[in-house]
Amino acid sequence: MTKSPIITPQAAIRVRGLSKFFGPIDEGAIARTGPKFGTARDPLSGSIVAAWDVNFDVAAGEALGIVGESGSGKSTVLRCIAGDQPSSAGSVHLMCHDEGRTNVLDLSPAARRKLRIDQLSVVYQDPAEGLSLGVTAGGNIADPLTAAGWRNFEAIRVRARDLLDRTEVPLDRMDDIVRNFSGGMRQRVQIARALANNPPIVLLDEPTTGLDASIASGVLDLIRGLLEELDLAVVVVSHDFAVIEMLTQRCIVMQHGRVVEDALTDQLLEDPQHPYSQKLVTAARS
Amino acid sequence: MNSPLINVCDVSKTFILHNIDGRKVTALQNVSFSIAPGEHVALAGSSGAGKSTLLRLLYRTYTLTSGEINFRLSSGEWVDIGKLTDPEVVALRGREIGYVSQFLRAQPRRSVIDLVTRAGVSRGMSRNDAREHAAISLRRLNIAESLWEIHTSVLSGGEKQRVNIAAGLISPPRLLLLDEPVSALDPENRERAIDLIAQLSEAGVAVLAVFHDLDAIARLATRIVVMSHGHLIDDGPAQSILPQLQPTDVHS
Repeated sequence: MTKSPIITPQAAIRVRGLSKFFGPIDEGAIARTGPKFGTARDPLSGSIVAAWDVNFDVAAGEALGIVGESGSGKSTVLRCIAGDQPSSAGSVHLMCHDEGRTNVLDLSPAARRKLRIDQLSVVYQDPAEGLSLGVTAGGNIADPLTAAGWRNFEAIRVRARDLLDRTEVPLDRMDDIVRNFSGGMRQRVQIARALANNPPIVLLDEPTTGLDASIASGVLDLIRGLLEELDLAVVVVSHDFAVIEMLTQRCIVMQHGRVVEDALTDQLLEDPQHPYSQKLVTAARS
Repeated sequence: MNSPLINVCDVSKTFILHNIDGRKVTALQNVSFSIAPGEHVALAGSSGAGKSTLLRLLYRTYTLTSGEINFRLSSGEWVDIGKLTDPEVVALRGREIGYVSQFLRAQPRRSVIDLVTRAGVSRGMSRNDAREHAAISLRRLNIAESLWEIHTSVLSGGEKQRVNIAAGLISPPRLLLLDEPVSALDPENRERAIDLIAQLSEAGVAVLAVFHDLDAIARLATRIVVMSHGHLIDDGPAQSILPQLQPTDVHS
């Protein structure tokens, strides 16, 4: 292949052939599932092809969206990358880990968990997944810091205060337990915790779904500002095109476990190519 | 004349509406023209002629159905915009090709001055330079200094449009696509915006623009391309095409 005259930034995360099955899968099952058949479930074996052959790169300072209806496989992809679920096939390379030489899907569960300390963070739709609700806001942030080797109590307090300030959580709530926080506030604490050790890669799974519209837009503003300032490589899963439009430059569209379109975000919104993308965009715009 | 910056060759665009029985809508057919640095090309033609479609194809907001859109990079090499990968298009936008729409796009809570400054920084200016230029543009566009630190969402339509112009024109890219950039402005502010747009040509920026009035075209265009029903029907120097245009030729 000839070298492109346009220099594009190097990928911070590279995903190739990522797949996730539930139940035994053979080639026939792949051929009998997907958008053409309107299902991710193989009618013969009953196995599920939750995600098949997902590929993308994301560079630092860039955000990629994964869109699709619930059940399309978009959150599965995120959870496989995060290590919350074992994947069935494919590779994920992180530039920050062994200079991208290791397929992190091959690492031991313990090694995968270590990546979550300071290389790859996840912000979940449900703050209960990313936070310990019975612990204070400050304690939740101290957690990844101590995991990364921070020992000085005062330094941890200063860092936690800084992060809460940055995510616009009132500092006088720092020593309140998170269970007593509102939904929007919990989400801000979860973002603060995710950023504690300056990970270069952040995965967001429906970060504003379930929040009131006015609260959601504040959280969205916050995320957008952080993306620009911290030069993060971000993957955002959302069924909400307003979120995708605000945060991302590029997208992939998933249906029944398959990627049916990858596109520039403005192109997806203005000139969607795949029938399913057209349906999604029309539904979102009407 | 300068050698072209962009060559649009035999470009067609057909939309396939899969959810309306696969209906096909052809918006552009076999359009060819080119733009050189410093040229200001105005697109004329009645509503539905394909003017905005053409702008969006050049920015790759629309995918190309057939033809080529060859663009000369600052390195001197040529690329076909229709064949670039998405990350390449992301890299091309901003510094090489810019798009100023009619509306200020949804922005997070940003102050006016911050929004324009960031636009300059994103095109390679230092923060101080960008802030200085932002202040100059905002003053020239008659945005009162008392508004600079407030959030853009509370501005009036005309103020938003002027902030959008300031952000779009700061440290301009080599090709700028303007889609009715002054449509919401009162006469005085429109004059100011037009003056700022006129400077682009002096700076060597290639401009392709759609305006909603003949006066703006008369003031700015060096060349006019006339479209009708998705076809290019005329292309020539502004002074020879302008007298033939009707006011209905510019409604978008």
